[in-house]
Amino acid sequence: MARAVRSGTRGDTVLLVACCVMALLATVLPVNLREAIAGGLRRTVVAPLVSLQEQAVRGRSAFLSREATTSRYDSVAVRNMELSRLEGENQRLRALLGLGRELEWGFVSAEALRVQRIGEDNTLTLTVGARSGVEPKTPVIAPEGLVGMVRTVDPTTSIAIMWTHTDFAASAMSADRSAYGIVYPHLSETGRGENIPPERYLLELRGVAFRSALKPGTPIVTSGLGGVYPAGIPIGTVLGELRTSEGWARTYLVRPAVRPPDVSNVIVLLPKRVEDQSVSRIWRSPASADSAARRIAAAGDSIARRAAADSVRAAEAAARRAADSTARTSDSTSGRATPTSVGVPVAPRAGQPDTAARRAPVRSDTARAPVRRPDAAATGARP
Amino acid sequence: MSWTRSARAVLAFTLLVLLHYTLRPLLGWRTPVDFLVIAVLLAAVRVRPGVAALIGFLTGLIADSMTPSAFGAGALAMTAVGAAASWLKAVFFADNVVLHGFFFFVGKWAFDIVYVTAERKMHGVELATQMLLWSPLSAAITAVAGVILLLMLRPVLEPQPV
Repeated sequence: MARAVRSGTRGDTVLLVACCVMALLATVLPVNLREAIAGGLRRTVVAPLVSLQEQAVRGRSAFLSREATTSRYDSVAVRNMELSRLEGENQRLRALLGLGRELEWGFVSAEALRVQRIGEDNTLTLTVGARSGVEPKTPVIAPEGLVGMVRTVDPTTSIAIMWTHTDFAASAMSADRSAYGIVYPHLSETGRGENIPPERYLLELRGVAFRSALKPGTPIVTSGLGGVYPAGIPIGTVLGELRTSEGWARTYLVRPAVRPPDVSNVIVLLPKRVEDQSVSRIWRSPASADSAARRIAAAGDSIARRAAADSVRAAEAAARRAADSTARTSDSTSGRATPTSVGVPVAPRAGQPDTAARRAPVRSDTARAPVRRPDAAATGARP
Repeated sequence: MSWTRSARAVLAFTLLVLLHYTLRPLLGWRTPVDFLVIAVLLAAVRVRPGVAALIGFLTGLIADSMTPSAFGAGALAMTAVGAAASWLKAVFFADNVVLHGFFFFVGKWAFDIVYVTAERKMHGVELATQMLLWSPLSAAITAVAGVILLLMLRPVLEPQPV
């Protein structure tokens, strides 16, 4: 650094004292005068510096707000991912509730836990067992259709095989009962043996009589033959015919109704319900599997049910009020009932059909569903 | 001091003032670097004490215009620091980086003490905390920044003979 100039002259002292005095005076100036001087400086000499400082502060704020915005965006994205998963789970559970409402008795619901081991990806561990009435070879279903069957049972848990398992087989038919066959998992040509995983998650409908030609899109359901699966549970839809070496029967490739990755909660049909053979009415319109699935899902939608119940109650109340007012009017005029005017709702009379009143009361909870069959308690079912 | 050297010193001074109003708010530290003190100190050691006091006074006044509530406090502190630096440089004459750092540290701390005292806003524990904790911290950071800047600006401030 350069050598400083030696000091000590009177001029320096005078200048120093003058500066100090002016600075001290500035500190004791009246506020308005101080503000005026500072404002004047800011508007003139210091204006470029003020502008620079403002820009710097704005830049820092923008940087900080960008960080905050980014972190907010990240957290929203994470929550959004979680939301879509929860929505899917909620939808599946609602559909399962709806299926439970439709079944009414003779079943137990269970969580399906996946075994994360190689070669065990076609089995499920169910959280119900013998204590709940589950027995080997009882069917496992989901709102979309057939999942598989229970293979081994412990007191509180059981092991089920899915339709992707090489040991799976089910007697099946087309929904219009025009063709019968046996459904197996679709395996690769070289892999039809033990511990060979199925190919592409598809099914085969084998042994269909040669005269029974099925078009693509034909729904395939369980036939009820064999006693393991009750009739009418959707298995899938026909994709097309497979060319096989057998000349006496047809084999069809079937797209399954249930996707294995979607299986997280299932329903196990208890033996008495399987014997009852009344499951088919649940999927009573197998020709439109989507609408059937939607109907089942809607049955589990408590909000929709409550809204429907509210609308029914409102309609009944409106009809009642209208009937009362009509009766009062007729009493006050002629003393006898007169026909209602146009646009006024009429209360249903005895013997007159009333669709709103005839609707079944909406249940909010499947646990409180009335047990229609007296033997349901004996099965240990949890309707 | 020749005209060229004076122009270089003015350039360095202007650069430091600009840094004070751009880099300092951009960093937004709790104990910020005081580039104005560095600028005044670097200018003060090149001029007579009277001129150094005037430079300090004007710089302080510019800084005070941004904080009208403490108007005059910065001018007084900067005047004192500038004049003292000019005198002390004559006494402690050395071209040592550590000594320069110490010089910046003492200059900034002294400035803060005079400023806080003249401002008359803090009292008791708050005043002690400011003077004994935040001011030394800020002074230390200013000293580090001052040394770095001094090393960077050395070609400008003291050009080597060709």
